[in-house]
Order: sequence, then C-alpha cells, then structure tokens
Amino acid sequence: MNPVLAEIYSTIIPSAPYIIAAYALMWAALLIYVFMIVRGLKKTEAQMSILEEQVAELRAQNK
Amino acid sequence: MANAKKSHALPEGGQWPDAIAFWATLAGTVLTTIGFLMAFFFAGPVNGAAVDGLPEMIGGQMVSSKLLLSQKIFYFHMPVAIVSFGALAFAGYYSIRFLMTKNQRYDTCAKVAMEISLVFVICTMITGDLWTRFEWGVWWTWDPRLTTYLILMLIIIAYFVLRNFIDEPERRSIYSAVVSIIALVDVPICLMITRMIPSSIHPVVLREGGMTGDMGMTVGVCMIGMILLGFGLYRLRFRQVRLAQRVQALKDELEEN
Repeated sequence: MNPVLAEIYSTIIPSAPYIIAAYALMWAALLIYVFMIVRGLKKTEAQMSILEEQVAELRAQNK
Repeated sequence: MANAKKSHALPEGGQWPDAIAFWATLAGTVLTTIGFLMAFFFAGPVNGAAVDGLPEMIGGQMVSSKLLLSQKIFYFHMPVAIVSFGALAFAGYYSIRFLMTKNQRYDTCAKVAMEISLVFVICTMITGDLWTRFEWGVWWTWDPRLTTYLILMLIIIAYFVLRNFIDEPERRSIYSAVVSIIALVDVPICLMITRMIPSSIHPVVLREGGMTGDMGMTVGVCMIGMILLGFGLYRLRFRQVRLAQRVQALKDELEEN
C-alpha cells in the first residue's frame, strides 16, 4: 500500500475493537436493564397468582 | 373533592404517558439505529495528525492527515450523558416534591429516575472510557470532567446503597431525597467544568464550533433517539414498580384480614 495512504488509515484498524466494544457494551447495559424490568414483571405476575389463590381460598372458607 | 383531584394528579401507571411510552421506545430504537448507521456512513471522518508526504485523494477529497475512527464513539457518548443529566433533573424534581408532600409516590418516581440515570451514566462511562483508552492511551485520567462525572456516579451508587441499608420507609425516602438533590447539584458543575477550567483536555465541542452539519445532524438523531429511549424505559420501569407495590399492598391487606 502507498505509505501515505497507510499512514492516513493507520488509526482505523487499531481503534476498531474499542469502537465495537463501546457500542456493544452500551447496548448490553441497556438490554440488561430491560431484562431486569421484564424479570420484575414476571415476579409481580407470580405474586399476583399467589394473591388470586389466597382470595379463592378465602371465598371458599366464607361459603 | 379537592383531595380527590390532588390524588388524581399523582403519577401512576396507566396514565397518558404510558399511552405514548411504547411508541417513544419504538421511535427511540429506530432513531438510535439510524443514528448508528449515520455515524459510520453519513458523518464524515475526523482528521487527526498531519501525515508526512503529499495529500491523497480519498472519496473525491484531498486528505493529508490521519482519519480518526474513534471519534465515532462521540455520537452516542454525548447523548447518553445528556440523558443521564435529564434523568437526574427529574429525580431531583421528584425528590423535592417528596420532601414537600411526604407522598411515597414521588419517592418511587425519584428512585426510578435515579435508576435510569445510573444506566445512562454507566453507558457514558463505558463509551468515554474506551475512547480514553484508545486516544489518550490510559483507562483513566483525573481530567476535571471525568472526575466530576465519577463523583456523580458515586453519589448515584451511594443513593442505592443508602436505600438498601435503611428499612424504615419514610426515613429511607427522606435520606434518599437529600442524596438525590446532592446529585442534582453536581450536574451543572459537571456540565460547566470544561468551561470553568479551560486547561481541561475534554473538548467543548459546541462552543468551539467543532461540528460540521453532517456531524450535528447525526448527533441530533442519536440525541432524540436516546431521549425517547430514556423516557420509554422510565415509564416501563415505573409501571412495573407501581404494579409490584399495588400487589404488595393488596397482599398486606389480605394478610391483615
């Protein structure tokens, strides 16, 4: 390759891993947070099911 | 009647912001994707140090300096930092509202806003640190902007540590609100530090006119996308936390009876 062109492009390849890592980790952080919200929702749904069972038991007792 | 009106104004899951939250998240995802593509295929490369020898013709332009690809990190670094500041502003507002009214709902809002700010602070730190490592050759330097931002991150972490250590709800909310307001005080310091200490190596891009039209447009698209994503995530988390609180309240009432 032309030495001037090689020098012009010299920072492209060495910086690529840092750029890829920056974007990947940033999106990973946001996805982890979304995952945490979804997990919280599932936990709440499970609690809701327990609550429904308790209400059903109470109704049965009152009959 | 007045009380009913007042309680109706309290933030709650299912209110009008939730109606647009999904579309905001979707638009945010689309815009950040477009912004990502614009950063690499639309915004021109930034020139670094001059090269020895005659300029070369690249893409119809004479280039006589090194091309800095690492600058592409900036298109997302600045928007996520701005969103972290915005989330802190909301957290501070809700904390003040809590201290004024002692209504736990505002504490919930502040806590969720603090979570959002922490997520975006982490994103800022990741993108900034990887840029620092490549451009400055170090993982960390005590640059004024970096130092004030690190202090901000530590205050936010301290907020959550504090919340976990105090069991009594009202005392926990009061102390958390104070810490949240302290974090908010650090925001303008963080923003203005590069102007207050001109020797800082952190660039003041807008004041120095360091952005061309294509760069500004790319940053704008990423910025709007990130703001919409931040809003969408806030509403989603708030809705989930409120649902959990309501289920817990019902459970407690059922156990009492």
